[in-house]
Amino acid sequence: MTERAIEREGAQRMGFFTDTTTCIGCKACEVACKQWNDLPSDGAEFRKGASYDHTGELNARTWRHVRFVELAERGEPAPTVDVGAAVAAFDSWVFMSDVCKHCTNAGCLDACPTGALIRTEFDTVVLQPDVCNGCGYCIPACPFGVVDRDRIDGRAAKCTLCYDRLEDGLEPACAKACPTDSIQFGPYDELLDVAARRVGTLHGRGVDGAYLYGAHDAPEDEIAGGLGAFFLLTEPPERYGLPAAADSPIQQNVIPATLSAVGAGLLAAAGVAASFLWSRHR
Amino acid sequence: MLRAFDGGLDGLFAMGQNPAVGSEHSGLQRRALSHLKWLVVRDLAEIETATFWKDGPEVRSGELRTEDIATEVFLMPAASYVEKEGCFTNTERLLQWRDKALDPPGDCRSELWFMDELYKRVRAHYAGSERERDWPIVNLKWDYEGAEDVLREINGYTVADGEPVPGFAQLESDGSTACGCWIYSGVFAGGVNQARRREPGDLSAPGGWVAPEWGWAWPANRRALYSRASADPDGRPWSERKRYVWWDEGERRWTGYDVPDFPVDKRPDYEGPDDAQGMDAISGGDPFIMQADGRGWLFSPSGLLDGPLPTHYEPLESPVGNALYPEIAENPAALRWDRPDNPHADPGDPSWPCVATTFRLTEHHTAGGMSRWLPWLAELQPEMFAEIDPVLARERGIEDGSWMTIASPRGEIEARAKVTDRIRPLRLGERIVHQVGLPWHWGFGGPHPGDSANDLDMLAGDPNVSIQESKAFVCQVRAGRRATGPGVLAGVHAPPPGVAPNRDHPAERRPHR
Repeated sequence: MTERAIEREGAQRMGFFTDTTTCIGCKACEVACKQWNDLPSDGAEFRKGASYDHTGELNARTWRHVRFVELAERGEPAPTVDVGAAVAAFDSWVFMSDVCKHCTNAGCLDACPTGALIRTEFDTVVLQPDVCNGCGYCIPACPFGVVDRDRIDGRAAKCTLCYDRLEDGLEPACAKACPTDSIQFGPYDELLDVAARRVGTLHGRGVDGAYLYGAHDAPEDEIAGGLGAFFLLTEPPERYGLPAAADSPIQQNVIPATLSAVGAGLLAAAGVAASFLWSRHR
Repeated sequence: MLRAFDGGLDGLFAMGQNPAVGSEHSGLQRRALSHLKWLVVRDLAEIETATFWKDGPEVRSGELRTEDIATEVFLMPAASYVEKEGCFTNTERLLQWRDKALDPPGDCRSELWFMDELYKRVRAHYAGSERERDWPIVNLKWDYEGAEDVLREINGYTVADGEPVPGFAQLESDGSTACGCWIYSGVFAGGVNQARRREPGDLSAPGGWVAPEWGWAWPANRRALYSRASADPDGRPWSERKRYVWWDEGERRWTGYDVPDFPVDKRPDYEGPDDAQGMDAISGGDPFIMQADGRGWLFSPSGLLDGPLPTHYEPLESPVGNALYPEIAENPAALRWDRPDNPHADPGDPSWPCVATTFRLTEHHTAGGMSRWLPWLAELQPEMFAEIDPVLARERGIEDGSWMTIASPRGEIEARAKVTDRIRPLRLGERIVHQVGLPWHWGFGGPHPGDSANDLDMLAGDPNVSIQESKAFVCQVRAGRRATGPGVLAGVHAPPPGVAPNRDHPAERRPHR
């Protein structure tokens, strides 16, 4: 194998499954993250056009960020109180707690020249601030705009998936604080199952637009090789500020990528077979 | 506060309260504070109630001058909830004891410490007095060493030996027992702080979800009131799946997962004699034992100052009349203070074409005393804003994110505009009325100040428990920031001549107009 660290031997991959259909926009994850990781306020700035979102983005000081998307009809609102329409409008006020994706093909990791970014025993991508020299190569290498350099010390910073808590057997602070389990933490394979079941449940309830972003994709559609922190969405990815397609920009790993694609293809075939079985049961 | 404004109140303790921005018609509240001789504020931060005399809107506008305000303000640093022990009592009647996690920093102290110290110093001041009026102060029983001593006294005890009583049924009216509050009697049963129990329910056991050993519920650790209603007239559960309290014929008593809220040995088929009195007159099939007839009441002929049945009135301030009762627009029993410094608009007054409502945000707590000073919360909702619909925004030339001014008959505030389709205009008869949504978490103090929505609402209360009417009042909006300088704050004039009537309690209410 090359130096690329898609997997670490003996690792059990841990991840996040963030279900936007149960997010209530309370931002407890943002605060819990900052408290545990001792991150400062990012400045109190009123942002226009962003609904109730005033932190705006993931950056060196904000490692969880709740995006608010108001999906009421644009154009001329009817000057009347239509209770049904008002309720529908509230239904489409959607929230997404965004976070580092801990990609399988992690662009930041591929670009890091110092080894500050590592793949951990939990198959997460962690930045070691004491090794980082602040070169900033990881920043354009992240297709999601997650990694950022701190404005004071110049070093890069991002979500560690609470590496220090995981070492002590604790779940990450954001998942712990989430009152609705919109943020679920656990072994990656289990989360994949939970998420697939959740999509099935939502489809059964008529939420036809529910889908997973960054998981259970066909090999050619995989986002950065599959996301360690993946999402359940009900709107196109762009409405949440996510790219429809993404991968590590580093092209030197074509061969291992192919190998992993074959493996993923086998998985996907199993998934297709399972879905046929499932549909026959319906 | 009106008594303070009119000169009938010398001093005030504001403990965990911030009336300068957190109470309705807060401009009037601040003016009332400025008429006090002394004011004690205990809080986590230097909140607006402690600083109104130097940086309140009236001082900034020049209407009040700091050198004219004689109020002596004492700001005392308070311990936070993790820095003190005590009880929370929730609306479900559950008492939960909380231990102190760490000592408060510096001079911060709990309310209990403060009140204890205050009384001891007052008593020392009165020591040796033989005046009859000082007797209660000199002789008050006051010997607490900790918060549990207070709970123990609330529980009640036998005077002879000081032992806690098991419950209110053991209280006597002959002076042999003492009790702070009968409904809490039993919280210290057996000398154990029952509210401190943290035994979760066993969800695998039938009825385990009741969790009777988690904290303690008043009265008598009953988790549900009138629970005899969970059984049919014969005492059998209405539903096996939802069984809760039922009659055990073998044991000849009521039993269940909870402490039954019914005389435990009264048979389901019990009928009292015709001349029965009190509880004896309530049959075995009537669960509502605190009602005179034991029945649930939809029609309540007594107890409420309005009613007995629900109806519709417009808010005290409304852009329209009452379509249901055109001759009576507003609740005639409402508690209101009709005086020049608490003005309100008449129905349909064209000066005030919009309606405002106040609401809370997840990120802040009440008037912001516990949240605006915290950088992690302040960055999530950094500035006061007003939510308006896009039609109103276009009509008034207000852009999303820009400054706008909201005025009511009581005052004027500025806020950032949040133009959103979530706010809908209302069609009221032939008129289109626009709504303005105002979070009320901001004030003029602290690191993230903003105008207070309570500068706009009026002093008014519901007839029974005086809940303020801050959810509906009329307003006008325009683009841009509010004016500054003297004379711009509306609504407060000299107090009316003579002594103002005491209208703080419904029983003392002056007849409506």
